[in-house]
Amino acid sequence: MLKYILKRIGMSILILLGVSMIIYFLIRLMPVDFIQDKINAINQGGATVSQETQDAMYATYGLGDNSFMGILKGYFGWLGKLCTLDLGISFKYGIPVSEVIFDHMGISFIIALIATVFEFLIAIPLGITAATHQYKFRDYLVTILVMIGISLPAFFFGQVLKELLAYQLGWFEPSGLVDATSSFTGFNLLIDYAKHCFIPILTIVILSIGPRMRMTRANMLEVMNSDYIRTARAKGLKESKVVNKHAFRNTLIPMVTSLAGLLPSLFSGAIITEQVFDLPGIGNMALNAMNAGDIPFIMGYNMFLALLSVIGVLLADLMYGLVDPRVKLE
Amino acid sequence: MEENKNKTEELEETNLSVEDTEEPLDKTVRLMSPTRMVVRRFFRSKLSIVGLIMVVGLFLFSFLGPVVYNQWGEIEVDKSGKYELSGSTVTYTVNGNEYTIRQTTEKSIDDNSLAPPSADHILGTDKQGYDVFVRLMYGGRISLIVSFIAVFLITILGVVMGGLAGYFGGVIDTVIMRICDVLMCLPGIPILLIISTILDSSGIPGQYRIYLLMIYLTFISWPGTARLVRGQILSLREQEYMVAAEAMGYSASRKIFKHLVPNVMPQLIVQMSLSLGSMILYEATLSYLNLGVKAPYAAWGTMINIISQDTDILENYLNVWVPAGVCIVIAVLGFNFIGDGLRDALDPKARR
Repeated sequence: MLKYILKRIGMSILILLGVSMIIYFLIRLMPVDFIQDKINAINQGGATVSQETQDAMYATYGLGDNSFMGILKGYFGWLGKLCTLDLGISFKYGIPVSEVIFDHMGISFIIALIATVFEFLIAIPLGITAATHQYKFRDYLVTILVMIGISLPAFFFGQVLKELLAYQLGWFEPSGLVDATSSFTGFNLLIDYAKHCFIPILTIVILSIGPRMRMTRANMLEVMNSDYIRTARAKGLKESKVVNKHAFRNTLIPMVTSLAGLLPSLFSGAIITEQVFDLPGIGNMALNAMNAGDIPFIMGYNMFLALLSVIGVLLADLMYGLVDPRVKLE
Repeated sequence: MEENKNKTEELEETNLSVEDTEEPLDKTVRLMSPTRMVVRRFFRSKLSIVGLIMVVGLFLFSFLGPVVYNQWGEIEVDKSGKYELSGSTVTYTVNGNEYTIRQTTEKSIDDNSLAPPSADHILGTDKQGYDVFVRLMYGGRISLIVSFIAVFLITILGVVMGGLAGYFGGVIDTVIMRICDVLMCLPGIPILLIISTILDSSGIPGQYRIYLLMIYLTFISWPGTARLVRGQILSLREQEYMVAAEAMGYSASRKIFKHLVPNVMPQLIVQMSLSLGSMILYEATLSYLNLGVKAPYAAWGTMINIISQDTDILENYLNVWVPAGVCIVIAVLGFNFIGDGLRDALDPKARR
């Protein structure tokens, strides 16, 4: 087991190295020269930047030398700093990139976590009823509704909900995280948060319920055909007990596995949803930074996302061996 | 319920009838090729028919539409002009009496922008004075062409790489699978943002850049297909007919592409139709983020993008942005229904 984990961790590091290489070389192809912009800004302010200072600025970011060896040197310099968690200073936000990421991933995480909890709470019962009523009206209805959910683009459906629930009915707030004009405390603040976050969370839940429900349905169908379910029925157990206790427990294995794989990705932020609702989450911060050509932030954020997805795969595999006694990890 | 009924139908067709047993067997038994059976089962499901109608309808709409309905072009601004009334109330006092007068000024604007739906413009015009209905058609062309190209390339690349990995195993398999692992860990939209800025500086015309972005999307999306093909080939490789193929001394390429890949086709077809839907969503998202098709050219995503800057249009001019969203949903839903129907139709477990 320990050997397996170590081997997997080693492999994950190799994958991250590959990702870092691709990201770094892509960034080197980027024409947006933020340093030049910065120098221009300083120049406009009246001060003149000497050539030496300019070169020094380029050198700080390892961007001075555009020959092959120079790029290679820049890459390894960046990689070395990356290992010490030094992602550089964000051009746009003016503070260390890691600080920006850590400050804003909390909001994204909480919103994603709440959405995931609701997603599971709704999708699992739907999947079970669809499976136990296979090819009946209920199955078709649930399947069609869920398919519509999968097919909705986040930016369109989010705006429709915003228009409907916020502008037309006025029940919820259209954008932002808190009401800027009034200062709430305690319980009222919580209500204010809820009013702002309801529509984004609803959007995420409706869009993501589909795959989860279909997974539950497929697993349930597979389990319901197995021998031990027939035995349970032959013993004369109530159908509800057969479904909810015997069958459902076995469908929990893929569920728990995918939940473990999902957990890290909750930190990554939903770029589109956060942009539509103007939430100060990590996704929105990243979009703004990228539009401004904030190279350190882009590199740091992309590596952060890659790290999260590597951890997700690793967790899912380990969890699989942990919850399913039939699986031996080697 | 419905499935049972279907089963008996099929049984009745394939079983020999009891009355005339004297006739030779092949006269009474109607043989059905596997393909015909799949087609029959596909058309038996109402959802797949609905999906097919949606997709075919959109195809006709976007490819034939502009030919039939050619009153306006994609980037043709309605220059008929309009008058805009702007009013303000002025209050002044004469001889102690207070008069309130509403003063309106009539301003003539060159472009007939934000016109309501009418006979001239079926869905009205947008902020620039383009006809929304016509732009929907041209946007559909882009979405459909781009996603078909992307899915086609993904499938070819995936089949070749997955086939190689599954058939040869060993070092080739390890290398290809590690490349897959790396590509699957690459973040999607953030990297597309980077590539978009690279494309910006290279001076590629607005209507072509979406193709380049989709090629990149192909480059990061093939691992899914490759894994599917590899897994399938790994299990097929052990089967007896492959031993027979080996004994016949067939070449590796013949074994892979004539004996193994056709057996992966069912899963591939399902995967392709489902990924058509997701590619349309991807294209729309890119255009929404202003990375894909750039103004003045039309794309469904770009047509919705306007409301993220202009809340006036979001609230008051639903005819400008809602139709584009509806088109996206119809396209994606259609492909998903077809994919689902195909999955059921091609499922060997359900075969009778």
